[in-house]
Amino acid sequence: MRIGSPELALLVLALPFASFLAIGLIRPLRRRGRPAAAVSILAMAGAFLTAGAMSWQAIPVARGLNPAVLWSWLPADGGPMASVGVWVDGMAMQMCVLVTLVSLLVQVYSWSYLADEPPPSLGRYYAYQSLFAFSMLGLVLSPGFLQMFVFWELVGLRSYLLIGYWYDRPSAAQAAVKAFWITKLGDLGFVAGIVMLWSGTGTFDFWPLFQAAEGGALHVDGLTTIMFLIYLGAVGKSAQFPLHVWLPDAMEGPTPVSALIHAATMVTAGVYMVARAYPLFALVPSVLTLIAWVGAFTALLAATMACVERDIKRVLAYSTVSQLGYMMAANGAGAPEAAFQHLTTHGVFKALLFLGAGIVIHHFHTNDVFRMGGLFGQRPWVGGSFLVATLALAGVIPPGFFSKEAVLAGVLHAHLSVPFLMLLATSFLTAFYMFRVVFLAFFGHAPVHHAHPEPPVAMDAVCRALAVLTLALGLRAAVASHHVEGPAWLPWISLTWAFAGIALAWATYQAGRLDPARLAAAFAPIDFLARRRYFLDDIYGGTYRLLLLGLSRVVGWVDRYVVDGVLNALSAGALRAGDALRRIQTGQPQDYVYGVALGVLLLLVWAQLG
Amino acid sequence: MPLHAYLVLAALVFVIGLFGVLTRRNAVGILLGIELMLNAVNINLVAFSRFRADLAGLIFTLFTIAITVAEVAVGLAIVIVIFRVRRTIEADHLDLLRG
Amino acid sequence: MTETLGFWVAAVVLVAASLAVVLTPNLFHAVLWLAAALVATGGVFLLLDSPFLFGVQLLLYAGGVVTIVVFAIMLTERLVGESIRQTSRFVFNGAVLAAAVFVGILGFLLQAGAVTRPAAVGDQLGDLGRALVGPFAAPLQLLGVLLVIALLGALYFARAED
Repeated sequence: MRIGSPELALLVLALPFASFLAIGLIRPLRRRGRPAAAVSILAMAGAFLTAGAMSWQAIPVARGLNPAVLWSWLPADGGPMASVGVWVDGMAMQMCVLVTLVSLLVQVYSWSYLADEPPPSLGRYYAYQSLFAFSMLGLVLSPGFLQMFVFWELVGLRSYLLIGYWYDRPSAAQAAVKAFWITKLGDLGFVAGIVMLWSGTGTFDFWPLFQAAEGGALHVDGLTTIMFLIYLGAVGKSAQFPLHVWLPDAMEGPTPVSALIHAATMVTAGVYMVARAYPLFALVPSVLTLIAWVGAFTALLAATMACVERDIKRVLAYSTVSQLGYMMAANGAGAPEAAFQHLTTHGVFKALLFLGAGIVIHHFHTNDVFRMGGLFGQRPWVGGSFLVATLALAGVIPPGFFSKEAVLAGVLHAHLSVPFLMLLATSFLTAFYMFRVVFLAFFGHAPVHHAHPEPPVAMDAVCRALAVLTLALGLRAAVASHHVEGPAWLPWISLTWAFAGIALAWATYQAGRLDPARLAAAFAPIDFLARRRYFLDDIYGGTYRLLLLGLSRVVGWVDRYVVDGVLNALSAGALRAGDALRRIQTGQPQDYVYGVALGVLLLLVWAQLG
Repeated sequence: MPLHAYLVLAALVFVIGLFGVLTRRNAVGILLGIELMLNAVNINLVAFSRFRADLAGLIFTLFTIAITVAEVAVGLAIVIVIFRVRRTIEADHLDLLRG
Repeated sequence: MTETLGFWVAAVVLVAASLAVVLTPNLFHAVLWLAAALVATGGVFLLLDSPFLFGVQLLLYAGGVVTIVVFAIMLTERLVGESIRQTSRFVFNGAVLAAAVFVGILGFLLQAGAVTRPAAVGDQLGDLGRALVGPFAAPLQLLGVLLVIALLGALYFARAED
């Protein structure tokens, strides 16, 4: 266990926030676009270097030392009700490095990718980016559930804004709203869970909770419910079945955003949270089992959908959902280290895949993989990078190989055989759908060509850097002789599955030995369902409409007949009463004198009685 | 005679005036009723002044008389104006205030 | 003895004249009865040892007010072209209410204890004059202003239209 310097952690947090403030508040900077981008990139570079330094300088300490530095917040009787601070253990620091690195690369990439945007939009984009990095880092460094929830919501908001970056496109606006609502559905559970946990234990902070949990001293009624509710937050954020439907639609945002948020960082927040709070989850085996099953099922389900998708970004999105399923399954199987390892490696190569896809889209001016081809011959570097990432994702080469093995081993170790088989099937499908994209886009016949712009230098450079990084991570993992605890046959069997997937993709889409239509026919029911996304979107849409329209009808009826009725009755009553009382006013002065005399009489009687 | 005698007398005159105000149809008749009521008040004031040996009652009476004169002048002027405009001084017909 | 006799005479005249004021159908007669009532009131003032007020009552009220009312009646009568006969409305209601108020006041009077009449003071008029220019000087001035305003207002209302 290693602990980093909290000052450096605060600096990592402060840099993107300062950049956001600068861009957000200084109007000319924002309106100009490019300078804002430069500020944001510089701040991000600084944050990355700081995070690196923090990780480098971290000192190993004995287990059982509090890695959190806290400041009290929300004062209340008898000590603060909650505290804020930073939590700098190894996992947080590694995550910081990953987040800042991917953010930095994505921002550099965006510099070229969004070159045609109007400057004010660009400024807005970079302001969002900076605040996103800040929120994500804050989430990572949170020492307690409350702070984590605050940043969690901030991250959700940024995601909404970035998906809806092209808010004048109805589809983008709709996707942003959808992402927001569906993740909020999970967040409801999250917030309910942490509040219940607080009312049971009196603290939001991880450290006392973990100490109590590990010491067996955490006695909270309904802990299972609480942890299940908290897990719901992760279901929404990390796109687990059945709340995964927002992620593919989130691809409406700019490609770099997809790479940053919907692959490398934000969606991993749920996985990170579960891994972080693992000591608590460890107390509730039933929830853990549920997490594992849902994760494995999500992985398989998303993989089948990825196989039939034509849009390259959506293929990658489903692949992300699928890989998140892997991570969650590892969490649920009691191997949070494996989940976290897969999270980091996946973050790197998935970012590479997305950014590579950005270049591909830029090249062909389409998202449809069937209208691409032969890119490898023209852009060997891009093809090479994409291939490296694909192999890593398929678990053929390190680092994906090792992290995936770790996940599978963890699941097997927990005797979750059905989820294990699902994950194994998923690894076959992963190899298949990824190589389907590779063969279709990079090999085969190039479509009729129009002028192909050279990919901008920055985009190319970022992809190469990520490819090198992927290989370096793989090398490091290999050199570190990563020992995966598991049976000896496990690597072989998963490699076999992966190669089988590659071979099937090759036979179908490259060599032409198999007709894709016949392949689809062989799996007709799955194909049918996958193409329609298992009707989940329709179910959600139908439910939404049913509920909303039904509710609107009820509200409308209430408004029309109850609210208006009351108002009408009131006004009619006032009118009628006024009409009746009007008659008292005869206009005859003497009648008024009668009134006065009666009043005097009343006063006299009253005074007599009193 | 005791104070009560004067007070009862004044009360009698007062309610007779009130009766006049309540029943007269003519605006001038109503004014006459008001005069009676004011007179009753004056009797009270003077009686109290005398029995309590306090001059203030007398002074108030003087004031009341002066104000009554002003009131009568204004009231009659109003009656005349009303008469010019409406061609009547029957209070029954003056009901512009009717709701 | 003289006082008792005087009181009864004044009281009977006053009540009778008052009743006549509110009951006479002829408005002109009613005004004359009012004058009688006012004079009787003056008599009551005399019985209460206030000769000055008796004078004021005669001059201002019986002399001034009644004259004005008579003028007003004559004016409206001439304008209407017929002698004004006045009628009464809701006599019964008015009588009941008036009687009720009278009973109410009487109830109070009966509760109060008797007050002895102090001896008459000598130079009451001098004291009155001093009080009017002393503690009551400001109200007196204000009253003067009020009178002026009221009379000007009355003039303005009743001026001839041209």
